[in-house]
Amino acid sequence: MTEPGDRSDVELEELQDRVSWLVRLRWVAALGVVATVWMVPRVIGIRLWERPLYWTVGGLAAYNLVVWSVNRWVPAATRGISVSHFTNAQIALDLVFLTVLLHFSGGIENPFVCYYVFHVVIASILLSRAATYLQVSFAVTLLAAMTASEAVGLVPHYHLPGFLDPQAYRRPSYALGVAAATTTMLVFAAFMATSITSRLRRREAEVVGLSDALREHADELADAYAALRQLEHDKSDYLHRAAHHLRSPLATLERMLTVVVEGRTGGISTKTHEMLERARDRARGMGDLARDLLVLSRARRAVVGAIQDRADLPALVRQVEADLQQQASLASVSLVASCSPGVPDVAGDPETLRDLLANLLSNAIKYTPAGGEVRVNVSAAADAVEIRVSDTGIGIPAEEQPLVFDDFYRGSNARASGKDGTGLGLAIVKAIVEAHRGTVSLESEVQAGTQVIVRLPLGARVVAKRA
Amino acid sequence: MSQGAGSKKVLIVEDDRDAAEALRLVLEDEGYTVIQAADADQGLIRAREGMPDIILLDIMMPSGTEGFHFVWELRRGPEEWSRRIPILVLSAIHGKTRLRFHPDQQDPVYGPGEYLPVQGFLDKPSSSAELIAKVRQALEEAAVLSGNQAGTDR
Repeated sequence: MTEPGDRSDVELEELQDRVSWLVRLRWVAALGVVATVWMVPRVIGIRLWERPLYWTVGGLAAYNLVVWSVNRWVPAATRGISVSHFTNAQIALDLVFLTVLLHFSGGIENPFVCYYVFHVVIASILLSRAATYLQVSFAVTLLAAMTASEAVGLVPHYHLPGFLDPQAYRRPSYALGVAAATTTMLVFAAFMATSITSRLRRREAEVVGLSDALREHADELADAYAALRQLEHDKSDYLHRAAHHLRSPLATLERMLTVVVEGRTGGISTKTHEMLERARDRARGMGDLARDLLVLSRARRAVVGAIQDRADLPALVRQVEADLQQQASLASVSLVASCSPGVPDVAGDPETLRDLLANLLSNAIKYTPAGGEVRVNVSAAADAVEIRVSDTGIGIPAEEQPLVFDDFYRGSNARASGKDGTGLGLAIVKAIVEAHRGTVSLESEVQAGTQVIVRLPLGARVVAKRA
Repeated sequence: MSQGAGSKKVLIVEDDRDAAEALRLVLEDEGYTVIQAADADQGLIRAREGMPDIILLDIMMPSGTEGFHFVWELRRGPEEWSRRIPILVLSAIHGKTRLRFHPDQQDPVYGPGEYLPVQGFLDKPSSSAELIAKVRQALEEAAVLSGNQAGTDR
C-alpha cells in the first residue's frame, strides 16, 4: 500500500541506488582511462597527447565527485528532480566526456570509438526505450560533430601515431564507414538491450504481483490459524467451566456427608455411618474425576509454543515435595527430592508445571507399597531440563506401557491394588509436557518400580507473533 | 471440642447454602461464632455490621466475578480493619495458591493481572482438619501483624 508520501521515498531510494551505481562505474572508467593513458606510451610505445587527456579525466573525476556528493548529502533537494531526468543528464554528460577523450586521442582513428556502446547499454537498463534511442541519437550526433569539425579544421585534430596514416580522418569514405558501422552498432545494441530489459521488467512485475498474492494468502492463513486457536480455546474454556460446575456441588456433597459421618449432626447408627461413609467415598471419587478433568482441560488449553513465562524447576520441586510429605508419610513411603546445581529456568507456566510434578509424585506415592521409596531428581541435559521421578512401586506391565498415557486408562495391576484413581494422571502429565514442547517417557518393571522421565526445553522461546 | 477459639467471629460468604452449612457445623464445633452471607453485597454489609475476625469467601459465586468484586470493595474500604482482615478463598480450582484479578477489570489500586490480596486458599472440598488448621493459622498470622502494628503505633 503506497501513499503519496511513500511514493517519493521509494523514488528517492531508487534514485540514490541508480546514481551510486553510475558513480561507481564512472570511477572505474576514470581509473581505466588513467591506466591506459599512462601505460600505452610506456609499454606499447604509441605516443599520446597525455596532458589534455589527463585534464579531461580530471574533469570527469570532478564531475563524478559532484554527482556523488549531491547524491549523498542533498537528498531533499533532489526531491524536486525526477529520477529519469537526473539519469538522462548524467548519461548525456558521460557521452560528452567520451567524445572529448576520443577527440584528444585520434578522433575517428581511435578503435575505442566503439565504447559508445557501454553508455547505450547503461541507458537501456536505467531509462525507457524512447530515452535510450534518444541517447543513441545524441551519441551519433556527438560523433558526427567531432569528426566533421576535425575534418573541416574547426577544431584541431590530435593524430594517433602508429594506427592510420595522418590523413585518414579527412577521407570521407573512411569517416563515413566508421560512422556508419558505429551508428548501426549502437542502434542494434539499443534494440537488443531494451528488448532484454523490457522482458526483465515484465518478469519483475510478475514477481511483485506474486509476492503480493503470497502475502495476502499468508494473511488469510494467519487469520484462519487465529480463528482455530480461538476455537480450541473456547472448547477448552467450556470444558473448564463445565468441570468447575461439576466440581462445586460434588465438593459440597462430599462435605455434607463428611459432616454427618463425623457426628456433627448428632448420633447415627453404625449401619448408617457405614453407608454414609461409602457414599462419601463415591462422592470423593467423582470430585477427583471432576478435578482431574479440570486440570486436564487447563493443560490442553495451553497453546503449544505460546508460553512466555519462565519457571524455576528446582524451586517448584521443593514446593511440591513439601506439599506431599504428608501424603507420603501417611503411606509410609519415603519421598526424596534432589536437584543438580545450576539448573536453568525453563519456558513454562509455573502453576501448570507444579500440577505436573504433583501428579507424578502423587501417583508414585499412591502406587508404592509401604516401606518403599519415591525419588525425584531435576538435572540439566543438552538443551533441556530433565525431571526423573522413580518409585519402588507396583510397576506397569510391559504390554500396557504404551497405553497408560491414554485418557481414563488404568493399568490392570493398578486397578487390582484397590487404590482409587481416575486414569487421567498420566494423560495430564502428557498434556502439560506437550504444551511445553517437551517429551515424556517411562521405564517400568512389574513389582520393581517405575521411572518417568520428562524433558522440557530451556529458556524463553520467542513466539513469532503476527505484527 | 473447642480449643480456646474464644469468641472469634467467622464470616462465610458463600452462595451454596449446603456448603455454607457444612462449614458452619465444623466451625461452631470448634467454638467459633459464624455469620453468613449469600452474595457479595450481603457479604459487605455483614462484614461492616459484624466486624468478623476472618472471612471465608467463595470466589466463584455464582458468576465468575462476584468473589473478586467482594475482595476489591472490601480492600478499598477506608477503614483499617477492612484492609487487614484475613480472607481465605474457597476455590474449586484444585491446588490454587494465588489468584489474579481478571484482565479486564479496572481499578485504581489493584490493576488487572495483579494478585488478590488474600491470605490463603482452601480447596473445595477440604477435610475438616485442613479447614480448622488453615483458619487457625490465618488468625494467628493476623494477630501477629496487628500486634506489630499496635507496637509501632505506640
